[in-house]
Amino acid sequence: MTGFPSFAVFLKILINGVLVGCMYGVAAIGLSLIFGCMEIVFIAQGAVMILGAYCIYWMFTLTSIDPFFGFLLILPVFLAFGWLMYTGLFQRVAKAGKNPSLLLAFGLMVLLEHVMSLVWSPNTRTVATSYSALALGLGSINISFTRLMVSLLALITTGLVFLFLKKTMLGKAVRGVSEDMRAAALLGISPIWVSAATFSIGIALAGIAGVATSITYPFDPYFGFLFSLKALIAVAFGGLGSVEGALLGGVILGVLESLSSYTISAGWADAVAYVAFLIVLILRPRGLLGRSVEKI
Amino acid sequence: MIGKVLSMRNSGYFVGLILIGFCVTYPFIVDAEASYLVYFLFLTFIYVTLAQGWNLVAGYTGQVSLGQHAFFGIGCYMTAITWRAGWTGYLDPLAMLMSGIGAALVAIVIGLPLLAKLRGDYFALGTLGLGEILRVICINGGGLTGGAVGIGIESSAYKSMSPYYFIALLIALIALASLWLIMRSNIGLALVAIREDEMAAAANGIGVLKYKIFAFAVGAFITALCGSLHAYYIFHIHPAGVYSLNWAITPILMTILGGTGTFWGPILGAFILAGAFELANIWMPELHPIFSGAFIILVTLFLPDGIVSFFAGHRRGILRKLSLFNWIVQKT
Repeated sequence: MTGFPSFAVFLKILINGVLVGCMYGVAAIGLSLIFGCMEIVFIAQGAVMILGAYCIYWMFTLTSIDPFFGFLLILPVFLAFGWLMYTGLFQRVAKAGKNPSLLLAFGLMVLLEHVMSLVWSPNTRTVATSYSALALGLGSINISFTRLMVSLLALITTGLVFLFLKKTMLGKAVRGVSEDMRAAALLGISPIWVSAATFSIGIALAGIAGVATSITYPFDPYFGFLFSLKALIAVAFGGLGSVEGALLGGVILGVLESLSSYTISAGWADAVAYVAFLIVLILRPRGLLGRSVEKI
Repeated sequence: MIGKVLSMRNSGYFVGLILIGFCVTYPFIVDAEASYLVYFLFLTFIYVTLAQGWNLVAGYTGQVSLGQHAFFGIGCYMTAITWRAGWTGYLDPLAMLMSGIGAALVAIVIGLPLLAKLRGDYFALGTLGLGEILRVICINGGGLTGGAVGIGIESSAYKSMSPYYFIALLIALIALASLWLIMRSNIGLALVAIREDEMAAAANGIGVLKYKIFAFAVGAFITALCGSLHAYYIFHIHPAGVYSLNWAITPILMTILGGTGTFWGPILGAFILAGAFELANIWMPELHPIFSGAFIILVTLFLPDGIVSFFAGHRRGILRKLSLFNWIVQKT
């Protein structure tokens, strides 16, 4: 027990929580999009994320490409990866219901984790750039430069995904399919095509989260599952299938974790997050920003 | 005559009896300490039990739980704590029973809010948090749970492999028998009705919550029995090991692989998956987990309804579903 923090410390904890939470948010948006379209919890999201982190690691250590530039290279690759994954695997079992898709995602997670541990060894890796240790002073508060950049990245990404969903034709189709697949199909939207697009965007978002992880955290091949869980909690906070809710959920989770690890202890932080998660689930099962209309 | 005895209806019983007979006599034929197959069967019996525990909750009742490892861990801890305190002995049936009942009570207490409020995916997410919360509690439990190091118990009590083998077999048979009886009673009918359409079941006078909690508690009881035996076998339990999500995921995979909501599916799935894992482990230890992942993906791609559906044929499965539906309609 450290007691209640003073205002400056409180602010610092809050900012730190928001910065970490933005990262959870990006992973959660991908999860949320995939859930909206395919109705499955894509459990391999974390493993895909770590794959992204390793790609950045390789680029950085072999050719010393800056992670923020490497990000631009990773994006199209992961979009294509997601597209292939959907058309090659998930589309084939989509008709058989949810269980096979879930199983497929799990198999993919196991496969990815172990391929990564074979290729890059199970040792913990870090991407140490010249600006990794840089901190920005803001009065008495120090903000880590990489974390700030990462959360900016997260905000921009969320904004782009949001605009894509609201303004573009394809985005509207995505929303239509996630609301009612049959009605969308009746209006001439191809659910397969839209699902493939959504899935690849979800995978690309996992890649972005991976870039963010690589420069802020040390990581190993099995680190991703924990992140999948956290992203899942963030999604549930915001309500399954909602984009802005997922980001908000991520931020709430980040703040909650950093507050509880300061006021109680780091060991209990996970439990506090899960208990809050259960309470939200029970009291507001549609999430904090959830729609009141029930899906049929 | 032989044709009649071996008709489709009876062949299941025969195969079952022959398999049980083989399992009972096998440790007497070979040296139980040295035989790899005895160890493998011991492990597989535990997995069969765990898979059937999940099958009852998710396969028959339709409540997809991702938190079975919580009950497994409770079983482990209750057994280890009572043994360390000197209340129970080595391989004590009382301790195992108490672990099972304790887990069932926890399942009732937790199931009351979760099962009443959460449906479908939300229930799955809620139960996922359960195991994680318990893991953190055990890490921070101080002297009672031994913190992150866990509880080590006297491994000098170990004498031979055979008692483990037979207890695992007994637990598996108890689980199978109770599942068989439940599914052939009115309770089983109610559970399947809840899975198919909760609203319609409630409209027909089924106390939905009561039956869901019953299935959840029985599933927890069965799972905790395995946890208890695991504690006796491993002699040192620690939070990361017994609350590992693997204890929830592997049985789920086995059930889906064999066929969810079928009696034989989880048994078949457990044997095939455990066998595949062990063989891969022997022949290519380096590549074993990669093989396992690829195996899961391949089976899902080509047999999405489980292996049992491959034998039963899709047509018969649909016919059976229809007749069951008719039966429920007539009955209620």
